[in-house]
Amino acid sequence: MLGPTVVAVAEMAPAPPGLDWQQTQLQLNHRRLTVTAPVTETLSRTLRCRVGLTSVRETCGVGVCGTCTVLLDGSAASSCLALTAQLAGVAVTTAEGLLGPDGEPGPVQRAFIRRGAYQCGFCIPAMTLAVHAALYVRRHRDREAVVDELSGNLCRCGSYPQIREVLMELLADRGGEAADGATTGGR
Amino acid sequence: MTVVDLDDRDAQDTVVGRPRYVLDQHIEGELHAKIVRSPHPHARLDGVDPTRALATPGVVAVLTGADVSGDASINATFGRQRSDQPILAVGTLRYAGEPVALVVAESIEAAEAGREGVGIECRALPHVVDAEAAGAPDAPQLHAAWAGNGCGEWKLRYGDPEQGWREADRVFEGTYWSPPASHVPMEPHVCLAAWEDGRLSVWTSTQAPHRVRDDLAAVFRLAPEAVRVQTRDLGGAFGAKGQTTIEPMAAVAARRLGRPIRLELDRDEVFLTIGKHAASVRLATGVATDGRLLVRRVQVVYNAGAYALTSPLAAGQGLLRAPGPYRIPHVEAHVLARYTNTVPSGPFRGAMTSQLAFAYESQMDEIASSLGIDPVALRRRNLLKDGDQYATGEHLHQLHFGELLEDAARAVEWGTPCAPAPPGRVRGKGVAVMIKTTLTPSRSVARVELAADGSITVRSSSVEMGQGSRAALTRIVAQALGVQEARVSVPHPDTDRTPFDSSTSSSRTTSSMGTACVRAVDDLRCQLTERAAAELGVPAESLAHRDGAIGPQGGGARITYEHLLALGDPPLVGEGLFESHGGLPAMDPLDVRGFSTVHWHQGAAAAEVEVDCETGRVTVLRCHGSAYAGRVVNAHRVRQQNQGSVVFALGQTLMEELVYDEGRVVNANLAEYMIPSIQDVPELTSTAIESSDLEAEPHGVGEMALPAVAPAVANAVFHASGARIRCLPLTPERVLRCLRENARADGGSGG
Repeated sequence: MLGPTVVAVAEMAPAPPGLDWQQTQLQLNHRRLTVTAPVTETLSRTLRCRVGLTSVRETCGVGVCGTCTVLLDGSAASSCLALTAQLAGVAVTTAEGLLGPDGEPGPVQRAFIRRGAYQCGFCIPAMTLAVHAALYVRRHRDREAVVDELSGNLCRCGSYPQIREVLMELLADRGGEAADGATTGGR
Repeated sequence: MTVVDLDDRDAQDTVVGRPRYVLDQHIEGELHAKIVRSPHPHARLDGVDPTRALATPGVVAVLTGADVSGDASINATFGRQRSDQPILAVGTLRYAGEPVALVVAESIEAAEAGREGVGIECRALPHVVDAEAAGAPDAPQLHAAWAGNGCGEWKLRYGDPEQGWREADRVFEGTYWSPPASHVPMEPHVCLAAWEDGRLSVWTSTQAPHRVRDDLAAVFRLAPEAVRVQTRDLGGAFGAKGQTTIEPMAAVAARRLGRPIRLELDRDEVFLTIGKHAASVRLATGVATDGRLLVRRVQVVYNAGAYALTSPLAAGQGLLRAPGPYRIPHVEAHVLARYTNTVPSGPFRGAMTSQLAFAYESQMDEIASSLGIDPVALRRRNLLKDGDQYATGEHLHQLHFGELLEDAARAVEWGTPCAPAPPGRVRGKGVAVMIKTTLTPSRSVARVELAADGSITVRSSSVEMGQGSRAALTRIVAQALGVQEARVSVPHPDTDRTPFDSSTSSSRTTSSMGTACVRAVDDLRCQLTERAAAELGVPAESLAHRDGAIGPQGGGARITYEHLLALGDPPLVGEGLFESHGGLPAMDPLDVRGFSTVHWHQGAAAAEVEVDCETGRVTVLRCHGSAYAGRVVNAHRVRQQNQGSVVFALGQTLMEELVYDEGRVVNANLAEYMIPSIQDVPELTSTAIESSDLEAEPHGVGEMALPAVAPAVANAVFHASGARIRCLPLTPERVLRCLRENARADGGSGG
């Protein structure tokens, strides 16, 4: 009496009829991947429903909450607003792409784990990408500039104090300007 | 910086984004469903035309209310307190957004396309959005069975209010308004349903698996055991997932079509599924000139929305909390909930209480200001102390309101002036305190299993939704059993395998399920002792447990737990029960008195704000949340719950309101319904006050600071600028209007 089999998503995704389809070659997490999707399909749906990446999640669907954040050629972007068919040759990075070579968490992810910077966790993979982009792609050195970049990533549980701690720690590690003791929250 | 007290093996999966939510699940052969919703707030439904939808490639079926009500084996409505909510609308549409039809298709794209092709034939009826207006004699009536749109009425009378009014030197009156709001869990509601051999299996993002199981069993007239409900971690809930909502729809479609159904809500649909009770609170308080509260009258009207959900009883919970955390000799309270043509209202973090605390704590500062008494001193004089009698007639114990107040005041350096504000701006501070009951009666059962390999499995139906219940129960069991946390696992709730729990709500899990777990461990240890006594040939009384082993009390050779189970033996199972009785259901709704709650939730908040006098914009500079925690199980999680409460509440304080225009929600999206971002969060601090008793029971802390935040901020705005805003949220428009009215009044009296 185990009930119906629960399956991984990548095995499914039947082809919806009546739509124009297109093959697109994505550069996903440093690998080439060809996906076939309707021309109107958003990247978030492709990654979640066709590729089966559970780290990509949609909350608002209109590009304001940041939960579906991915990196497109290193810049944080809302995958619910990007169309897969237009992303041929663009480097797409998801939270899986921040993992180390053996699949262990990368530096940003480790900082989130160390600080316990999550509650329900739904927004966190996207948050790690936004932090990664702000610190290591745009190379902001000032904490408030990083916080600015994170203002588009919402966390309803309110783990912001711990996320600020993550920023402080990573900035300090990099010898940035953060180790000024002006902590916010987390006490 | 903080050293995180965290042993959470889920941390890595969470941060990396591995599968953990129902949203991440699929069933082989599943069909996708999308809901067609009512465009009208109130209408007679003449028919649904599925023709164009059925012609859409990939669409398999369109189900309507007629399909449901035409099936004699199904109850076409559901609802625990009142079975008033149709699975799909039949005859009448009662709110804009109500489910009318379900389009089922082979793909989600086809279901979405098909949804556009369903025609709804209906005639509009007059509608009502406001709960006060819904009580008018000529107001539109939502349910024939419930005259006057009544959805719960509760009354309390304590002492001799007439005497109180006679004795009062001054009487303060005001009406305080909290608007409808939305929980906004980041993960939408999602449900998968499948039938096999007459048995229903459901995976759903719910806070109450057994509640959903029982509701579904009632819908299909099955024994509860014929329904299996499983959940996984929730991507936030805050009360939005405490009720049965979309599960009956999915289950009906799965049975009708003989295939598994997957139903995932879009964001606008989450807004249209459940919301917070809007409330108007009319509050009159009679005081002596020395600041003693003598008498209080509180009249509350909660907006229940179109369907009851928990409103009839929840209104009573509001009544229990309405007098506030003060010693008041005479109290009269009257609380109503009314149906309106709006999104159904349900429990919302700080449930039923935030609306009340905004009223009584705002008025507290009005009294203080008018009498020339310091607001903290006025509270200190009136707060309930151990042994005081409350308006329900109970004598309350384990009270910590005084400590909470002092802690909150200290956090914002009460009594020390604010640092000077930039030109055109002013600064001020405010505090507030709140009282809340927890769910009573309620029941939690836990089973703790010890396997021959030494691993320990905790079977519990408590739901992990970000509050850290799994980490808390792991720790509680590990500590009670004297073993490493790494040996303990807590699988997801599954009504076939995890025992009964009322719900994961009302901040009850650490306390109620924690108690059940401790009792289950006690049971397990008794069984282990008996086995060890038999093995060693000594009396059970001579043995003691230490570090996962049993041996003679005085010392000597010990047997480890795993040695007491031979390999291949079934696990040894201990069972524990937490059960509370009494509470509201045992009371006369129109004469409430007696035992309310197994313990009282106690919290406080303090804020320092800056008000821009040019724009009316309120900036919270720092905010503090304080909760009575009994005994802290996990300091990091407690801090997150406290600070999370403050962040969540700042949303309803400063920005959140579900806006209706002509009966329709016009901001059911996160572009127009704003929630706090990292930039909206001020300097945050928090305190968990612990009992001096090391064995004290843990109290939940999930929402204790929350109801105090809005009044603390409103009081700080008043302190800063003289603007007393009695409507939430404290928008720049409201602040500016109030500042201008004050300036005009000053100008008028001066001239």
